[in-house]
Amino acid sequence: MKLQEIAEKLDLKRATKAFDREVSGVYISDMVSDVIANAKAGNLLVTVQIHNNVIAAANLVDICGIVVTQGKQPTEDVVKMAEKAEITIYTTALNRWQVATKLYEAGIR
Amino acid sequence: MMASEPKPRYEMVNVQMGYVMVEHDLFSRSVRSYFSAEEIPPREEYREGNRMWRSAVAGQSFHFDVRDNSTGEIIRFPELLGLLYYGSCKPESDIYRIGQIAHDANVSIYVAITYETGEGTRVPLSDSKLGILNKVFNDRLQRKEKKVLILPDLFDLHRTISYGEIMIDVGLTSMEEGG
Repeated sequence: MKLQEIAEKLDLKRATKAFDREVSGVYISDMVSDVIANAKAGNLLVTVQIHNNVIAAANLVDICGIVVTQGKQPTEDVVKMAEKAEITIYTTALNRWQVATKLYEAGIR
Repeated sequence: MMASEPKPRYEMVNVQMGYVMVEHDLFSRSVRSYFSAEEIPPREEYREGNRMWRSAVAGQSFHFDVRDNSTGEIIRFPELLGLLYYGSCKPESDIYRIGQIAHDANVSIYVAITYETGEGTRVPLSDSKLGILNKVFNDRLQRKEKKVLILPDLFDLHRTISYGEIMIDVGLTSMEEGG
């Protein structure tokens, strides 16, 4: 499933330019070290953390997109960094558990 | 059944979560850093010879080994504190300028920062290990046009950066969750 299709199904708001990619799976974490150690290329990262190092880690392991939960908004610097790395950031008021549930319901396993 | 992908030559193994600890000597003002795999980061002051070490920074991080799948050899990286992304550096810095140029060629620049010894030096990371590190992360990429280049700290960035700029979880020592 593509990022854009998931965004539509979960009613996510896009905070960056769109870089539509195939989603290979989901990784939920708020720790950059955990993302570097365990996330897989093509994963959609679900997190409440949104700072420069999240983008740096996502870029290092080739994360396809980021869903920022609980109404958090990326700063302009973070948006620029993500766009440079061609990583789409989405935001939602939902928490990580709710996002995980909706992703499962959308068919992401 | 999906065909399994071929194993990469190098693979991250023995991932161990823990803490990057940074300590100051109260007398000489020396700084040293190390990895602690303890469940709770050690924060108490302690004496060691004529030095008194006080914890300054504790950031969640991880240690790992790399397995060479062609030989079974395990290569350890105890010297690696963390990676620094060029985009987290000051825009007027040389590394940022180099990073920007490399970015236009689809190359993402990172700098390997190693631990401080307490004697004013850093633990060296050999070129061969750096090469392996580059292979590990490049083999994980999905986009074939994309490359990662991990450089040694040729720019002495460790002298000017804060630990918060390195990709470790400084200040994040517990997880929060709402209902």
